[in-house]
Amino acid sequence: MKLFNLPDLGEGLSEAEIREWYVARGASLKAGEPMVAVETAKAIVEIPAPWDGTVAKLFAAPGDIHPVGAPLVGFEDGDATAPPAPARADSGTVVGEVKSGGGTVREAPAPIAAGGAGFKVMPAVRALARRLDVDLGVVTPSGPDGLITAADVERVAGVLAEAGPLEPLRGPRRAMARAMAQAHAEVADVTVTEDADIGAWYPGGDVTLRLIRAMVAACRAEPALNVWYDPHALGRRVLKRVDLGIAVDTPDGLFVPVLRDVANRAEVDLRAGLERLKADVRARRIPAEELRGYSIILSNYGAIGGRYSDPVVMPPTVAILGAGRVRDQVLAVDGKPLVRPVMPLSLTVDHRVVTGGEATRFLMAVVADLQGG
Amino acid sequence: MAEVTLVEAINLALAHALGADPNVVVFGEDVGVNGGVFRATEGLQRRFGADRVLDTPLAEGLIAGLAVGMATQGLRPVAEIQFSGFIYPAVDQIVNHAARLRNRTRGRLTCPMVLRAPCGGGIHAPEHHSESNEALFAHVPGLRVVIPSSPARAYGLLLAAIRDPDPVIFLEPARIYRLIRQEVADDGAALPLDAAYVLRDGGDISLVSWGAAVLDCLAAAELLAAEGIGAEVIDVATLKPLDSATLLDSVAKTGRCVIVHEAARTAGFGAEVAAVLAEAGLASLLAPVRRVTGYDTVMPLYRNEQAYIPDVARIVAAVRESLQFS
Amino acid sequence: MSDRGQREGVGDGASASREVARFEVRLWRCLDVDGNALAPLPAFAGDLDHLRRLYRAMVRVRTLDARAVALQRTGQLGTYASSLGQEAVGAALGDALSAADVLLPTYRETLALLLRGVAMREILLYWGGDERGMDFAADRGDFPHCIPIGTQVTHAVGVAAAFHYRREPRVAVCVVGDGGTSRGDFYEGINLAGAWSLPVVFLVVNNQWAISVPRARQSGAETLAQKALAAGFGGEQVDGNDVVMLRERLSLAVERARRGEGPHLIEALTYRLADHTTADDASRYRPGDEVEHHRQREPVLRLRRYLTRLGAWDEAQEAECLAHCAREVEAEVAAYLATPPAPATAMFDHLYEALPAALAGQRRELAEKGASAPGAGDHG
Repeated sequence: MKLFNLPDLGEGLSEAEIREWYVARGASLKAGEPMVAVETAKAIVEIPAPWDGTVAKLFAAPGDIHPVGAPLVGFEDGDATAPPAPARADSGTVVGEVKSGGGTVREAPAPIAAGGAGFKVMPAVRALARRLDVDLGVVTPSGPDGLITAADVERVAGVLAEAGPLEPLRGPRRAMARAMAQAHAEVADVTVTEDADIGAWYPGGDVTLRLIRAMVAACRAEPALNVWYDPHALGRRVLKRVDLGIAVDTPDGLFVPVLRDVANRAEVDLRAGLERLKADVRARRIPAEELRGYSIILSNYGAIGGRYSDPVVMPPTVAILGAGRVRDQVLAVDGKPLVRPVMPLSLTVDHRVVTGGEATRFLMAVVADLQGG
Repeated sequence: MAEVTLVEAINLALAHALGADPNVVVFGEDVGVNGGVFRATEGLQRRFGADRVLDTPLAEGLIAGLAVGMATQGLRPVAEIQFSGFIYPAVDQIVNHAARLRNRTRGRLTCPMVLRAPCGGGIHAPEHHSESNEALFAHVPGLRVVIPSSPARAYGLLLAAIRDPDPVIFLEPARIYRLIRQEVADDGAALPLDAAYVLRDGGDISLVSWGAAVLDCLAAAELLAAEGIGAEVIDVATLKPLDSATLLDSVAKTGRCVIVHEAARTAGFGAEVAAVLAEAGLASLLAPVRRVTGYDTVMPLYRNEQAYIPDVARIVAAVRESLQFS
Repeated sequence: MSDRGQREGVGDGASASREVARFEVRLWRCLDVDGNALAPLPAFAGDLDHLRRLYRAMVRVRTLDARAVALQRTGQLGTYASSLGQEAVGAALGDALSAADVLLPTYRETLALLLRGVAMREILLYWGGDERGMDFAADRGDFPHCIPIGTQVTHAVGVAAAFHYRREPRVAVCVVGDGGTSRGDFYEGINLAGAWSLPVVFLVVNNQWAISVPRARQSGAETLAQKALAAGFGGEQVDGNDVVMLRERLSLAVERARRGEGPHLIEALTYRLADHTTADDASRYRPGDEVEHHRQREPVLRLRRYLTRLGAWDEAQEAECLAHCAREVEAEVAAYLATPPAPATAMFDHLYEALPAALAGQRRELAEKGASAPGAGDHG
C-alpha cells in the first residue's frame, strides 16, 4: 500500500480536523482530484489526490483530529514496504533553485572569419594623426609588422605641410575624380591601337568631322561597341542611335557634352553643333542633360598632342576612341618609302561586354574610313 | 634613528603596536619562544608576555579562524602564517569569513585582523617555501592586500594594517628580509594604505612592481639611466585597493609601461594592472604594456629558481623592446 | 601473548604496556520518550512555569518553521532550513546562556537566536536573501548563521580566547552538527580549546543526518562526544530531545567554563524530522518508517506529555499557545513581506569601513544604472 500523509498545510499547525471525505475505499482517483476536506483554525482546505491510484484505506474518519505527517490515505498498487512516493518533483538541488530551460542548443563552432584589415597603429599615434590632420591611409608604415609609428605620421605631416594646403576638388574636377575612380574599379579595360594614313584628305579636311564619320561607320560595322552595359543585370542594350560624347578640355576640367544622333546629321549641322557645345561648355552654360546619355566617346586629344593612350571607358558605355596628334611619317606605299600624314588611334573597350575581335574590327573600320577619300 | 633590515622593521612595528594598543595580540607557529622562523617576532614574547604573543598548534585554518573570532570581540590579532605556501588551508576562513563578515552583518560584526606571511622565492629553500600567491587574495572583495618592498614601508604599512578596521593580508618578500638596510624612525607613524609609491622619477618608461621585484626595477633603472633612459619606478605596495591614479598619471607621462612581478604570469596581478592601464590609459600608450613575470610553471626547486625569478637583465630587455616599439 | 618481561622497564609486572589513559562517555536523560521521569529531574524543573516557558519556546519555532516552509513553497522565501524535531536544542541554548555570552550557531539554531533577541523577521530576511537579516537589532554579539560547515568552531575558540585574554567571565558556545565534526576546522578548534583551556562549550547537535549521509557513515567513532577526549577535555552525550536534561547539562558546562574550568563538549542526540532544507527531499534517502519512529520521540511531544501528566498543561493552554504563536508569526511574516529590498548599491556598503576610492566608480556605475529598485516581488 502506498501511503499519503496529511501534508503541511502552511498555517503553522500540527493537526487538522477531518470534515468530509469525497472518496471511499475502492475509489479510483486521478492526481489532483479532491479527496478530502479538512479544517484548520483558519479555513477548510481541500486536499487533492497526490497521484493516480485506487483508495485502499482511509486512516481517519470525519471528526477526527489528525496529525500533520501521519498517514491519511493508503493507495493500492505499489510495494507495501516502499516509502511513500514523494509529494513533489525532485528539485535536483539542495539549495536555491536550478531552473530548467526550454531550449536545445545547437552549435557549429567555426574559426574566426577573416576580414577587416585596419591600420596597425597605437591609439596615441592614431590620435596624433588626427591632430595633425594626416590620413593614415597615405602613411607608409615603418614599424615592425606594418605598424604606423608616430615618426611615420610626423614625416607625412611634414611632407604635406611642404606640399602646401590641400585644395579641395570642386565641380567638374570633383565629378571626374569620382567618375574615373568608379569607372576604373568597374571596367575590364583593353586597349588596341592602330595608325591611319589620312593623306587622302589631310591637310584641308575637318579632322573632327572625319573622326565622327569614321566612328559612325565603325558603329555600323560593329554595333557591339555602341552599347550600354548593366553589370548588375548582366545585360546590354545595343543602341540604335549613335550619341557621341565629345571630350572637351577646359581649365575647369574635363567635360563630355553629347552630340546627338551623329549618324543622321549633315556635316554642316554636326560642325555647328560641335561649336555650340564647345562654346556652351567653355562659358559654363551647358545644361546638364547635354552632358548625359552618350553611347560612345571620342577623345581627340591630338589637338593638343600625344600619340597613343589608354583612355577610360565611362560606364554604362563600353568604348572610347582616342585620336592623337597627326604626324608626318615615312610609310611603305607600294613598296616605296613615302612621307605621309599619320593619325595614331587608341580604342579602349570594356572587355566585360566587348570582345577583342569586335574591338579590332571596329578600329579597322575607323581606320578604313579615315584612309578613304 | 637606526638602520634596520626589512624583517627588523617588521619586528619594530609589531613591538610598537603591542606597546601602544592592549588589544593587539600576535600569534602563529613558532612566533613566541622561537621569535618566528625568520625572527620577525624575536623578543616579543619576552617583552609582552605569553598571553599576548602566543604559539599556536600547527593548524593554519585554525590560525585564521582564531583571528576572525578574536577580531569580532575587538581584539587586533596579528597572525602569522609561517610561509605563504602554507596559507592555503586558511583561504576558507579568509575568503568565507574575514573578507565578508562586515558586509554580511551590515557592519554589526567586523574583522580588524592582519594575516602576515613571508612570500616569494630566492632564499634557497626546499619546495613549497617560495610561493607568490598575492593574486589569489587580490581577487577577493573585502580584503586588503599589502606587500612592502623596503624596511621603511614594511614598518609604516604594517602599522597601518594593524590599525585598519578591516582584514589585511600582509605578504613579506622573504628574499629581501635582510638584503637591504634603511633608516627607520620607530615613531609609530603609519604610511598610507591604498597608495602607490613613486620611488624614482623618469620620463621614458614606467616600471610598476611590488615586493622584492621593486629592488630589481630600481637596479634596472640605474643601468638604464647610464644610457640616458629615464625609468620611473613605482611600488604598488597596496595591491588591493589599487591606486590606479598614480599608475595612470605615470603612464600618461611616459607612454610606456613594464610591469614586473615574481608570481606566475597568467592571471597574475600584473594582468589587473595592465587591464586598468588599457581601460583608462590606452590613449597615452606608445607601446603595448609588457609584463616581466615568473613563468607559468610551478616554482622550481632552488637550483633553477634564479632562472624563474625576473632579474634585472629581463627587465632591461623588456624596457628596450618597449622603447623600440614605435 | 608472549611474556617480554621488563626489558626496558616500561612494563609493570608481566606485561609490556600499562594503561596511561582511560575514557568514559556517559549518556544523560531524565525524561523518557513518553515523557515519564526516569530519575529525579534537575532542580530548575521543579518550576513548572520555567518548563512551560521552554515548551512555548519550542512551539514558537515550530510554528515559524512550518510557516517559513510554506512561504518557500509559495515562492516568497528562498531556501529554508527547518529545525523540526530539534526544538529542544534551541530552547536549552536560549535558556542556558547569559546575555554576555556569545553564541556561534550553525544555520539551524533558529530558536536559540530567537531567544537571544533575534527577530523572526530577521530570520526570514536572511533566508529571503537580505543581509540585513544578520544585522540582529537586539542581539549585537552573536554570530550569524554559518554556511561553510564547521568553520564557526575556530571562530568560537577565537571568541573564547578574547574572553580569556581579557579575563572576562563570558563563554563562547559553539553549535556544530554531526557532519561538522568531520571537518578540519572542528578538530583544529577543539584542539586549541583543550590546549589553551579556553572558556568554550561545544554543542554537537547530532540529528543523525548530514543531508543524506547517515551518522554511521560520517564517523567510525561510537560517539561524537569522545572527539573531545582527543582534544583533552570532557565529552558527554545527552538525549537532545529531553529539553530538561539538555538545558541542565548545558548550563553546567557553560558555568564551568565561565569559572575558568575549561571547555566541554555535549553531543545532543536528536533527529532531523524535516528535509535538510526546503530544496531537499529526504524521502529520497531515508525510509518513512524511520521518520515515523522518531516523530514519536520528538521533544515537543515529549514535554507536552510530561506536563500534561502533571496537570501542568491542557488542551486550552495548547490552543491558546498555538494561537499566540500563530499571531506572532503572522505579524512577523507580514513585516518581512512588507520590507522592501535594499537598493542594489547596498552591496558596496560595509565592504570596508569606508569605501575605497578604487571602488567609487563601480558603485556610481551601479547607481546610475537605476538599479536601486530591484525587481518587484523579489522575495523568493
